[in-house]
Amino acid sequence: MIALKPRATAVAAAAAALMLAAGCTSAVNQQGDTGGTPSRGGTLRIVQGADVQPATLMSQNNPNFSLTRTVFNSLIQYDHKTLEPQPELATAWETSADGKTLTFTLREGVKFHDGRAFTAADVIADLEIIQRAEVASQVKGIAKQIAQMKAEGDTKLTITFKRAMSNTLDLFLMMPIIDPKTADATFAGTSFNGTGPFKVEKYTPGQGFTLKRNDQYWDSGKPLLDGVTITVVRDSQSMLSSLKSGQSELALDLAPLDATTIKNDPAYKLVESDANDSVAYVGYNVTVPLLGDKKVRQAISYAIDRDRILAQVYGGIGQVTSLPWAPSSPAYDQALVKHFTHDVDKAKSLLQEAGAAGKTVNVYYDSGFGPNNGMAEIIQFDLTAAGLKPNLQPLQASDFLSKLRSGGFDGMFVTAHGFGQIGPATLLGGAFPFNFTKNASSFVSPEYQQLAEKVWFSPGKPDAQTLAQVNDFLLDQQFVSDLVTSTHTYATSSKLQGLSWTMLDYLDLDDASLAK
Amino acid sequence: MFRYLLRRLPAALVVLLAASLAIFFLLRLSSGDPAATLAGPDASDETVAAIRGSLGLDEPLFTQYLIWLRGVVTGDLGTSYILHAPIAQLIGESLGNTVLLAAGALLLAVLGGGVLGYLMGTVRNRTVQNVLGALTSLGVAVPTYVTGVLLILVFAVTYRVLPSGGVGPGLSDFEIGVQYLLMPAVALSLPTGATLARFLAASLRHTLDQDFVQTGIAKGLRRRRLMTAHVVPNALPPVTTVLGIQIGQLLGGAIIVETIFAWPGIGQLLLQAVTGRDYLLTQDLLLIAVAVFIVVQIVTDVIDAAIDPRIRLERA
Repeated sequence: MIALKPRATAVAAAAAALMLAAGCTSAVNQQGDTGGTPSRGGTLRIVQGADVQPATLMSQNNPNFSLTRTVFNSLIQYDHKTLEPQPELATAWETSADGKTLTFTLREGVKFHDGRAFTAADVIADLEIIQRAEVASQVKGIAKQIAQMKAEGDTKLTITFKRAMSNTLDLFLMMPIIDPKTADATFAGTSFNGTGPFKVEKYTPGQGFTLKRNDQYWDSGKPLLDGVTITVVRDSQSMLSSLKSGQSELALDLAPLDATTIKNDPAYKLVESDANDSVAYVGYNVTVPLLGDKKVRQAISYAIDRDRILAQVYGGIGQVTSLPWAPSSPAYDQALVKHFTHDVDKAKSLLQEAGAAGKTVNVYYDSGFGPNNGMAEIIQFDLTAAGLKPNLQPLQASDFLSKLRSGGFDGMFVTAHGFGQIGPATLLGGAFPFNFTKNASSFVSPEYQQLAEKVWFSPGKPDAQTLAQVNDFLLDQQFVSDLVTSTHTYATSSKLQGLSWTMLDYLDLDDASLAK
Repeated sequence: MFRYLLRRLPAALVVLLAASLAIFFLLRLSSGDPAATLAGPDASDETVAAIRGSLGLDEPLFTQYLIWLRGVVTGDLGTSYILHAPIAQLIGESLGNTVLLAAGALLLAVLGGGVLGYLMGTVRNRTVQNVLGALTSLGVAVPTYVTGVLLILVFAVTYRVLPSGGVGPGLSDFEIGVQYLLMPAVALSLPTGATLARFLAASLRHTLDQDFVQTGIAKGLRRRRLMTAHVVPNALPPVTTVLGIQIGQLLGGAIIVETIFAWPGIGQLLLQAVTGRDYLLTQDLLLIAVAVFIVVQIVTDVIDAAIDPRIRLERA
């Protein structure tokens, strides 16, 4: 081998020059940091972990939280403390004495983004859309009870249901008013004609939205912002980096342990939604012999250390629970929240009674959702301590969802549900883990159906006694073991003010502003 | 060269056809249901069935395959189940970003790897060898998700001199676009650059030990002439072959880098397609990836022949 003198200095210098040349005008400075008092104008930059799914706009679906209430409105919203309905596109409503007929008075002067006036006929057409087989919605069951719809002029609307229901208004809370003339294009993501505070200027599937202020918004003077961008950043750490580097002002639903890192930093705020509508739970396929015995399910519920899950997986955001209800729900009972405490001895004893000690049980979870991994590991540890042989089965989201829907788990499963924060009937009939007609646990019980229907088909709010019976039944049967009531979080720059949200956790940016 | 290309074409088509069969049927073997993903966890059976029907997923499997193949052949890639946009449009929007990222990373890898490999292959100083060897080992060993996160932490979060993610205005505003590109391209280029450096160094050492190099020195050839005209051209063919393979790995690595840097490219699109069981989009993207591999292989063969006259394409 011969020795040759290196002459690479010039090449190395060229590489360095590339980096220096890139620094002439700063892409970071160009993003424009602001600070000071709230004011009009500016563009709010939001990052979120998954793309909006326009096809599911009629249902509550986490990736759509940033878009549904920013581009569309509902007829009503709920007060966060009392769940009393509040006016939005409807200014008044009246229920008939038998609870079957609902009459709405609609707001005058409301226009869709394309300038067309919003009328009662649009609401009727949207209700017909939500009844269509291919349109997913958790409140479809309510819509399907509609017997007759009648518009009187542009602003009066009468809807008659086949039976009186306790959760009728949930339908009008959840259903965004889309332009029915372009509904198919809305579900296809090519047209978003709503009445909300922002218009869609650009949508790039998989990447995000650019929204601009709706100057004809019915709530005059609002919104304060000129525009909003919604960018998909799939990794939670990257969302956090985006916020910390000043590239965004709002990160939706950071992984809990990422979110807690900014809790004590004055440059940021970690806002926890008061809807508390995300409940981590363990479900069981009750057709599997081992899990068909409610003693085994109760034993597992006692075996799981909920406090540890809350602390180590959710970073303390939320509260432990044994029932599906959020504090805002009429079914919430503080005394029952800690019914299942971490009690390994009791779990062992129940397993012995059931002859299940030492048995193997598969534990399925969607490994793509960060908290599930931590939860599954804690559950594995706890079940082992109680004398079972848990076998963790991580799945991809689509596979998990498919098995969840078809009741295809040959064991137990770890995931989360919503709908504990509004009318109890909507959870019992609309949330798949609890659906009394068909649920993820394949749990069938005439007693449960009777109770659920009593809650569902009660005119007005269900009585406390019935709700107590439901709670006792859920605690006893444990086909779903609720673990932690957590919530959606908004990690924001301290510049963002006036952030709000609905009881379905849809972002409400009417009063949002960026301090200058 | 034309005869060579003509001879490769039938084999390439057979590979593509075999790949299309494998992609289609292996994907269907994996569990998961795009209709269930679309409908959401709380949807009724009726809703899921209606969605499945609207996507054509209730047709027999082979019919679905033929429909897809006919679409690909006629240039109609279909519509994404999950994103609801024409796949050609989705790929068009993402491909440019990935090509930009891959080109930037390739440029850095070739420049950096070339310089380091040249130094490692030609400098005899033990300390220099050890330092460069350690650097390239580090480059190969450290995963891109680690270097990516570290780069963001230092340059975007701590010093705020570069944006943490996104594609920015692209090269339409070169000065700004380059700043968005810099960190992801560096993260993506490191393993490729380090691998290239090690192969180049080994190849240079091997070539420098050949008799013709001693003959050149004995004839009094200048060092620069000896290196540029004889040593480097003889050392490059194995390196370009490796480079061809590395381009494939570069595209694979782009999935991770694009996720970390929120770079809206093909990698992110593929990730979304696979996790959502967006069959059509996944099939199209994988088939395109196979086609790219085939093209890269052919281009590598052509470049090798151009560099080294001893390689004859007609005999390849």
